[in-house]
Amino acid sequence: MLPTEVSRSISQQWPCRELQSRQLASLFSPHTASPSTLVVHGISATCKSTIVRAVVSTLQVPHAIVRSTECITGRHLLTKILWTTLEALSRKNEWEKFGKGRCEHVSALVVLLGEILASSEDGKFVLILDGIDKQREAPQTLLAALARLGEVIPSLCVVLILSSTPRPLFLQAVAVPHVSFPPYTRSEATRIILNADSPFVDGLPVEVVTKVYPQFVSTIFDSLVGPTASSIPVFRSICDKLWPQFVAPIVNGETPPGGTGEWDFMRLLVRNRPLFRQQGEAALVHHIVPEEPTQEAGAIAKPSLKAVSAPSPLPSLPYFATLILTSAYLASHIPQRLDTIFFSKFSSSSLSARNKRAHHRRRLKLLSRAQAEDKKANNPSTPGKGKRQKTRITKSTLESAFASSSATTSAPGGAPGVTGPSTILTARPFPLERLVAIYHAIDPNPPANPIKTAAVSDAIYAELATLRRLRLVVPAGARDSSGGSGRVGGGPSGATSLSSGNTTADAGDKWCVNVSGDWIGEVAKEVGVEVGEWLAGGLD
Amino acid sequence: MALSLLESEAPDLSRDGLNTQGVYIYRPANAKPNKPQNERPPKRRKVESDGQEKQEEKSQGAQARPFVPLLNGEESASSVDLRYNAYQRLWSKQEAKIQEVLEDVDSKILEEVSSFVKESSAQIYDGCIPSALVTVGSNVSSLGRLVTRLNERLITSGEGGVVVLESGDAPNIKTTLKNIIRAAVTNTEGNDGYQSFLTDREGPRLLAYDLDLLGDYVQRKGVTKLVLAFRDSEAFDPNLLTDLLSLLSSWLDRIPFTLLFGISTSVELFEGRLPRSSVALLRGQYFELHEASNCVDRIYERLQADPDGEFWLGRSITGVLFERTSDYFYTPEAFCRTVKYAYMSHFFANPLAVLFSKDSASAGLPHGKLCQAVRNLPSFRALCEDLVEDGHSKQVRNLLENDEYLFQECLKYLETGQKQMRNIFEAVKSTHTFLKHLNLSKKIGVSDISILALSGELHNSQIVNDILNTMKTLDSEGLKGLLATVPENLADSPQVREIQRDFEALLEAYPNSKPLQSGYDNRNSVAKVTVVQQRVQVTKSKAKQPKQNVEYTQILDRFHATLGAYFAETLVGPQDLYLYEVFLLDMRYPLKDTVAPRPRFAIERALSSPFDYLISTSDTPENRLSAKQPVTAILYQLYLESGAIVNAHDLWSAFYAVFESDQGDECDERVIMALFYRALSELKALGVVKNSRKKVDHIAKTSWAGL
Repeated sequence: MLPTEVSRSISQQWPCRELQSRQLASLFSPHTASPSTLVVHGISATCKSTIVRAVVSTLQVPHAIVRSTECITGRHLLTKILWTTLEALSRKNEWEKFGKGRCEHVSALVVLLGEILASSEDGKFVLILDGIDKQREAPQTLLAALARLGEVIPSLCVVLILSSTPRPLFLQAVAVPHVSFPPYTRSEATRIILNADSPFVDGLPVEVVTKVYPQFVSTIFDSLVGPTASSIPVFRSICDKLWPQFVAPIVNGETPPGGTGEWDFMRLLVRNRPLFRQQGEAALVHHIVPEEPTQEAGAIAKPSLKAVSAPSPLPSLPYFATLILTSAYLASHIPQRLDTIFFSKFSSSSLSARNKRAHHRRRLKLLSRAQAEDKKANNPSTPGKGKRQKTRITKSTLESAFASSSATTSAPGGAPGVTGPSTILTARPFPLERLVAIYHAIDPNPPANPIKTAAVSDAIYAELATLRRLRLVVPAGARDSSGGSGRVGGGPSGATSLSSGNTTADAGDKWCVNVSGDWIGEVAKEVGVEVGEWLAGGLD
Repeated sequence: MALSLLESEAPDLSRDGLNTQGVYIYRPANAKPNKPQNERPPKRRKVESDGQEKQEEKSQGAQARPFVPLLNGEESASSVDLRYNAYQRLWSKQEAKIQEVLEDVDSKILEEVSSFVKESSAQIYDGCIPSALVTVGSNVSSLGRLVTRLNERLITSGEGGVVVLESGDAPNIKTTLKNIIRAAVTNTEGNDGYQSFLTDREGPRLLAYDLDLLGDYVQRKGVTKLVLAFRDSEAFDPNLLTDLLSLLSSWLDRIPFTLLFGISTSVELFEGRLPRSSVALLRGQYFELHEASNCVDRIYERLQADPDGEFWLGRSITGVLFERTSDYFYTPEAFCRTVKYAYMSHFFANPLAVLFSKDSASAGLPHGKLCQAVRNLPSFRALCEDLVEDGHSKQVRNLLENDEYLFQECLKYLETGQKQMRNIFEAVKSTHTFLKHLNLSKKIGVSDISILALSGELHNSQIVNDILNTMKTLDSEGLKGLLATVPENLADSPQVREIQRDFEALLEAYPNSKPLQSGYDNRNSVAKVTVVQQRVQVTKSKAKQPKQNVEYTQILDRFHATLGAYFAETLVGPQDLYLYEVFLLDMRYPLKDTVAPRPRFAIERALSSPFDYLISTSDTPENRLSAKQPVTAILYQLYLESGAIVNAHDLWSAFYAVFESDQGDECDERVIMALFYRALSELKALGVVKNSRKKVDHIAKTSWAGL
């Protein structure tokens, strides 16, 4: 079969990959010698594995596919390569001949594979390692070693499928052919979507579908999919979700505006502007529990505000635990030097303290106004040359902190993109004693006689242990170490200290809150604490 | 032969001893002349029979007498046994009730979850792993119960099973997978089955963490649902979870996984913690489990208000229990343990608990000491005073002098007291139903009413007043409903029966009229506005009532009076009952300190005033700093006076000054220096001080007293 024929047959099912399938087909063609190693790379959802599989199976080249994600260790991968090779050559019952099914090192693999392929009569064998760059616990030399397999064994062709862009010479070998799978362009993506049928909507005339659907798909791409660099499956699911709502006016028999008596694309678009704004953006984010599609047409016109699918967005923590969490949040987000001003009960009633606090707020307000103007002028604020900027808490940083979703701030290791002088965005570690002290300051139901009532710190520690288990408050050390986990060559990530069984903590150890402020604010409101009142700068 | 056996046994024994022995003399094994040189040392064997026997003996010994004799050790052995047996009988009854409630409480969710597990599959969710998100709130333990019962169901139907995974089982991905595979296989095959599964298979031996094993198992057993339950999903390392999810999803075409996440915070937060690529692999539904407080309320009601109750927890214990459940992470199981502790402490420490035993009367115990104890009770004194006031002085004399008579009377009073307690709780329950029936307040639970009732305040409380007032305005339909909910005790009384009869007669007399209106109903009053000398006067007057309504109002009045009398009669304070010390436990202190121990508080107190715990050698009990106190305590008190960081030399000179002032010139500086070092290192070990990074010769304070 000629490469062009192969690519033609494949492109019927997976369009827009003719070039790549032709390249692959000519490289794997049974009539020519294949390169010993081949690298296929491209970001996820660009059809790499599917096309490679399709090509080798159309050409009927003997091949074995090993999915790297299913292999836990490097040794596991090697063993798996051995078995799948045996299985592909249907010599599985001869496993005892070849290392008794055991393979612990690449050098052993070379010998065993060589034996297997030498004793089999087929001329060529393709070994496909899918997602090999994501291999867990791989030794550093694994990739380079696997690339040498084909050099040592003449009849073998090793295909490495990578989802990251390879660095130059990452295999330590020259002239390894690479086949690149670039992301789909606008026209390709829309073509793929249009290749499939439009989602069926009851009562919609066919001519409307043929006329409006292509325009709809390209609008979706321009407004939602293109800017977010989403993949084809996301694109398809958005189209499936939004199309019935988009054409709902036609189905419901509403009269189009303008008196023309006919709905065309522009009218529908104007009508459904909110659809793209709210539902569309919501559709970009996958939720575990999908939102119930609102069937009624009225819901499209005025999208309901409660888009949250979770039963209760707020966790139901007990009273005491909530209060501790709030204190932890405050301790994490207020610079320690402001503690006496904001929490001290001795100074709270005095005139000077009030003046001081008012002064702070005024200053913060001015600052925030200045910063807002800065933003308006739209100059990317470059930090002064080497001059250390003072920590500033401004209204805008506060707001941005509260606006940021829990995903960005609570992700372990913090969002790497967030740098700079903001103190609100990054929760800072605090010692436990400070947490207890702040707890006393913010307690909404303080004991009538604080001298006589027994200390609560013991109770606080007990609850803190549970909060730690829920990873709402974490030891500061653990938070840092959980940041990076190496895949290839990273070795086992040193997260043993993170294991939840370990609850030892020294006296001076620091802790850190691990959730975003938006819901702490709401949770705290339920127990009677206004976080905004305590936060430096306030939220007025 | 026998000789060599004996000798080979001997080192075994000594070696077992080594585990606990601190110091021993090393004897090389080849020192023995008659032993061949190259023979292997005997392998250690588990000496099972020996240890078991010992344990059994011990447990038998414990079984014989778990309680100690009270009354200064003069309580007889049979009476101790009676107390123990009474406790066993009572608690086993209560425990059965608790189990019933716990099983009942989540049965609805169980149905929902199991139907989800049955119906969902990867095909429906386009290749996503079906996952159920169960929000458990602070009711952390409930998921475990749910999962066990789900597992039973799946196993009996032969569809598969549930693998429960806790964060402790998942330190890294290899161990996690090993645990999953092992748990899945042993769930149906047992431990031996797992071993044989590993070894008796064709082909090369697989690694223990290879999911091929599980795939093989699934294929062999025809498993259609394999549920993987993450009990505390927040506690899992997020990186590990991400890894695991991607792995599971790539196996989904071969192993039918269904995931079950127990979430204590919120679904949103759980989703937010995972990377979006992992979230995209999951799809499913959420389920909400009941809050712990709901469950605890029901357990409490069953324990206290059941009509066969014999022993009750008092007001302050109830207060402690419900404070714990509402303010802290407190599972229903922990609640039950606390209640059990209260029961145990009563029967353990109260010699009068022997009266609970059914056959305490027939046992013919010597009750001299017991009667003496009874005579010391405050409630006994109150009883005697009441009797004297009523002029029964002879009976009082009898009670004071005749042990046998007192004992019999005690049993009688115990019974009446218990009966009154049952009545109180019946009234509590009916108050609760009235509240619900009259739509007065949904928030007030049995526990709140119980606390009021146990402190004897329910009768005069707002709740009862509200009930009585609202009752007066009911129409006939409402009254009919209310009469149906009246407690049996009250319904049997002649007044209520008469009211019921009259009421029915009235209804029959006017069969087609609308529901009869009460005369107290506001709708029947007419507001009249008159202008008298430029002043507006609003007068309310009753509209003229039809005859049947007047009659109905009379019935209502009678019922109101009866109900009021019932509440007044039943809702006495339990502390006013005679011999309440026997059947009511209301001591807050041992319980509270056991449930919520306060180690830091105790350490701080011990260090700052050591003679609260130690016997002072000096004659004058003084709180002042003195050299007679333990050195660590002295240093701690000096430390309390310091700031955030303190110079070690200053601390030393202050420390020395304490000794100098006490012992004058004869104090040895070197000895005191040694003491100082010891005290300082002890404080360091307690985590109170640490080295300061700011200044080399300073130590930093890390704990403040009284927080």
